[in-house]
Amino acid sequence: MPKLSVRNLTKRFPVSGGPSMTALDGVDLDVEEGEFVAFVGPSGCGKTTLLRIIQGLETATSGEILIDGKPVTGPGHDRGFVFQQYGLLPWLTAAQNIGFALEAKGIPPNRQGETTERVLATVGLKGFGDRFPHQLSGGMQQRVGIARALAIEPEIMLLDEPFGALDALTREILQNEMLGLTERMGKTILFVTHSVDEAVCLADRVVVMSPRPGRIREIVPIDIPRPRASLGEALRDTPEYVAKRHQLWTQLMDLV
Amino acid sequence: MQQSAQASAVSKSADEPAAASDPNRQRRRERLLQLGTLVLLLAVWEFAARDANKLLVAVPSDIAVATWELLLNGELFSATIDSMSTFVLGFIIASVIGIVIGFAMGTNRTVEVILDPYINALYAMPLVALIPILMLWVGIGFLAKITIIILFAVFPVIINTVTGVKNVDRHYLDIGKAFMASRLMVYRKIIAPYALPYVASGLRIALGRGIIAMIVAEFLTSISGLGGLIINYTNAFETAKAFAPVLVVALLANALTILVQKVEERFGRWRRR
Repeated sequence: MPKLSVRNLTKRFPVSGGPSMTALDGVDLDVEEGEFVAFVGPSGCGKTTLLRIIQGLETATSGEILIDGKPVTGPGHDRGFVFQQYGLLPWLTAAQNIGFALEAKGIPPNRQGETTERVLATVGLKGFGDRFPHQLSGGMQQRVGIARALAIEPEIMLLDEPFGALDALTREILQNEMLGLTERMGKTILFVTHSVDEAVCLADRVVVMSPRPGRIREIVPIDIPRPRASLGEALRDTPEYVAKRHQLWTQLMDLV
Repeated sequence: MQQSAQASAVSKSADEPAAASDPNRQRRRERLLQLGTLVLLLAVWEFAARDANKLLVAVPSDIAVATWELLLNGELFSATIDSMSTFVLGFIIASVIGIVIGFAMGTNRTVEVILDPYINALYAMPLVALIPILMLWVGIGFLAKITIIILFAVFPVIINTVTGVKNVDRHYLDIGKAFMASRLMVYRKIIAPYALPYVASGLRIALGRGIIAMIVAEFLTSISGLGGLIINYTNAFETAKAFAPVLVVALLANALTILVQKVEERFGRWRRR
């Protein structure tokens, strides 16, 4: 049984004074346990909407989401979400932001310390717990966002363009860290990105989506052997990487 | 000797343009400028009013003497305590009522729709017009004064709280939703901190209106407190003494505004400076 199934999912947004906008149209997808699936596509293809519906931040117009075969209708602690921007509460420190998710899961403040320390260390932010978001760089803020999602020990991680607002260098560093992290933990991950490189680098499969209405155009398997993290920068020079990157670019170019 | 010292001071400031932009020095210069203007203003006042009728116009030196007298005989102190205890209690009640109603209106559309027209109407209308009617209901004592202060102070708190609560960034609410935060957690950790700067500016406006209400109440209901001193000494043509409580009110209003700002800063440490 797949870990996550998306069944015939459709999402229409009402548009004032006109016909409704179809953001997603009959999307079907199965994701296996431990699989890393990346979503790419031009703006308006509905990839972020799909992720938000899976998390329960928005409701589908029709169709359903199954986790372990059971339909889900709202948010749950079995899914951890990482936002693109404004993902941290600016009036809480890094540790308090992580504590927010833990408290929401029902873990009282006096039992949060150990988990908070552990996840901060996991993302390389040991000792930064008492910093406010504005005292951290963009890359560090996103690490806190990832740490918070990890803290609730979700079965599925959903990341919505987590590195989209970062500069190129920080972005690549975080991609490499993400690669190491996911290969160590083997969690099921859904990852929305604008970047073809990021998708090829990280994912087991890349879902290419087309806009207006949002549909799955193609699913491209990335068979670069794991662990890839140890390859470092050399990963981007492997023939598989180059070939897949080229293939995806060609497909995306046809869509715009 | 003096000349050389002056010369070196000049050359020093010319050598170090950084000194001019030193924020501490800049601030000291600005304070000095303000102080100088005040001294000049008082001197002009003293000079211009020296031949005027003492019953009608007081000069700064007379006011200083009068203030000192009222301080020594304890009159100013007891009037200040009287006014402030009424004001502080009224202001606190107005703040609590304002924040509670503002939160209710900001988070519940039904409550907002019901209350909004009355709140806006009462905020806009000159509330002094209500005071005579109010006195019919609650008399002219302590209760009347508290009621008037609350009435003047509560509406800016409500209106600003509603604005803050309703403006909460959708991104922050999404965090609460994604991690399944309880309603109480969303109120405490997302909506309340977000709305705080709005509430604080409401409190600052309420402070000013509350002070006005306090003085008006002391004029119109039972004559007492600082407002009472002003009325009584003006009626007795002791103009210099009437200025003393005015001075105290001005100082208190400024001190309280600074206090609210400090409280706001304390809770707003997370903000970028």
